[in-house]
Amino acid sequence: MLADETIRLAGGRQWRVFRGGSGTPLLWLHGLRGVDADDPLLAALGRTHAIIAPVAPGFADLEEVAAIDNIHELALDYDDLLRGLKLGPLPIVGHSLGAMMAAEIAAHFPDRASRLVLLAPVGLWNDAYPVGDLFALPVAEMDRMLWHDTRARDAFAARLSGADAQKSQVEQILSVTRSIASVTKFIWPIPDKGLAKRLHRIAAPTLVLFGAEDGFVPPRYAQDFAARIARCETALVPGAGHMAPYEKTEAVAGLIARFLQS
Amino acid sequence: MKFHFFHLMPYPGLPRDFRDKYRSVWVDVPSALFDPAQGHRSYMEYLDELEYAESVGFDGICVNEHHQNAYGLMPSPNLMAAALTRRTSRAKIVLMGNSVALYNPPIRVAEEMAMLDVMSGGRLVAGFPVGTPQDTVYAYGQSPATLREKYREGVNLVMRAWREPDVFSFNGKYTQLRYVNIWPRPIQKPNPPVWVPGGASVETWDWCVENDFLYANLSYFGYLEAKKVLDGFWRTVEKHKVEPNPYRAGFLQFVAVADSDAEAERLYAEHALYFYRNCLHVYGGYVNPAGYTSVATIRAGIESQVARIVGRAGARAELANLGWKDLVERGYVVAGSPDTVVDRLNDLIDTLKIGHLMLLLHFGDMPRETTLYNTSRFAKEIIPRLRHRFSEWDDKWWPREQAVAAAPAPAREPSLAK
Repeated sequence: MLADETIRLAGGRQWRVFRGGSGTPLLWLHGLRGVDADDPLLAALGRTHAIIAPVAPGFADLEEVAAIDNIHELALDYDDLLRGLKLGPLPIVGHSLGAMMAAEIAAHFPDRASRLVLLAPVGLWNDAYPVGDLFALPVAEMDRMLWHDTRARDAFAARLSGADAQKSQVEQILSVTRSIASVTKFIWPIPDKGLAKRLHRIAAPTLVLFGAEDGFVPPRYAQDFAARIARCETALVPGAGHMAPYEKTEAVAGLIARFLQS
Repeated sequence: MKFHFFHLMPYPGLPRDFRDKYRSVWVDVPSALFDPAQGHRSYMEYLDELEYAESVGFDGICVNEHHQNAYGLMPSPNLMAAALTRRTSRAKIVLMGNSVALYNPPIRVAEEMAMLDVMSGGRLVAGFPVGTPQDTVYAYGQSPATLREKYREGVNLVMRAWREPDVFSFNGKYTQLRYVNIWPRPIQKPNPPVWVPGGASVETWDWCVENDFLYANLSYFGYLEAKKVLDGFWRTVEKHKVEPNPYRAGFLQFVAVADSDAEAERLYAEHALYFYRNCLHVYGGYVNPAGYTSVATIRAGIESQVARIVGRAGARAELANLGWKDLVERGYVVAGSPDTVVDRLNDLIDTLKIGHLMLLLHFGDMPRETTLYNTSRFAKEIIPRLRHRFSEWDDKWWPREQAVAAAPAPAREPSLAK
């Protein structure tokens, strides 16, 4: 169980950050579905790490992204947070858009990450195997692209709707709207904002991990990341899609733990 | 009241099984369905119909902008407006309009509209729609998160480009220009009347009232459903303590005039159903991207025009099964004898309190003779019976007569040759 707090930085910017677990610090950058106190992957990682999981700009309040014009300003925004928290080099683990951000932070500020784990990262583009157009799907159909394991999908939805039971339907729609809208600001209409040109700056040992059945970001992109990052290994999790951390949680947590200890 | 003939310029040649066979009339509609010969015929006929509308007494003739679709063949309405400046001389050209966020830099819009105003002798109405999600977000790659901010910045730049007499610099978030100094300048001073066509968004109402822009609600679902939207607009007018002048607002309505209600069905039903079944057949993923509709608008419970069509559970099926009776009963199409039409339009005017009524008299794949017939009957039998409405108000959102030198006679053999 993570606890959330509001961090106020000197420049006036506020961040909502979930924290919990014990051990050496680990920065978690969440994916499209956000982060919450009972995140099962973070429960597993928290057994050996003190988790720091900021809520991405826009997910709580769309006004936050209005002030962030591009991916470089977004990287600066995260750097401000890490400075505010007085964090030195630490493992950075991200999922989906969060994995793209993790790579951007490690490329913009090569000393920030001691190790880097990218779970199903977006950020690269190849015409021969394009990233799926998640944002041209009705919201109700997005899950079909994101999940391979439908039982895991239903369990995830049930857990969240339990937590959201107090919210009105409009507030639930707004919550999804905010998260998707803030993501689109940085990857519209094609999720290639120059990361390929910066990946060579990443100094940390890196693991790129995909669910073998990812229907949103083709797992082939793992090789494109590996080709541009000096010390990079890749792994595939069978029987999982883009939401691999929540479809095969123990397997993903095990691979991350092994990589961080190696 | 003022009456405007609005042409959507739909592609009339979609196959009978279009709805079943293809997923969308917009964005990824197969290009193989477009026959350029049919396109040529349609453009010529549609321009004729707009010109005819002037000749029978419509106040304005309207064109608008859409991309990558068979719903309306006007990626550039400015080209249509330019063609109309040459063959019309009285009707105002209501350009409904340019989606400013799609033009880079947006002064292109200021320049082309200024050209149109000068060419037409001061007859231009300048429309600034945000644009549908299909057009802006999917066909033109704009991020839904920044579209509205970019649009507003662009409109502000266009307004300044028209109004400021001196060269100025523009340091915007989306556009930076060291020298703004457009040529030509509009005839109408300080600028042509500005209309903002929109479905409905709460911020748009405030913005229109604050800037004295006309708010035009373009709906395919008739005036009964639009009441909620216009009520919201008029509440905004009241909130800002400006006069509730009916000419601040406009509304778009399908109308079909015939000898009798039964005759209306015989003449028009097939073409209206072509429009509702095919032209609104938009894939659900293209209508409501997150971020396009503002948080405040979602909270207010107002759906965008297109989201209304395909977003609601069951609405797609409803559209497929729609019959003429449904269209008429719900007021999507005001149809029938002149008495019926006048009654219903009086009810529309009382309900929405709008001074500008835009008419869709061509539907879907309607042939030219039927369109001209409908247009002629509307002009001769409907307009005279409604013209007096709101005559006590001054319309400040309409081009004033301009003192412009008469157009020269057409070129002929030069007399200087001897």
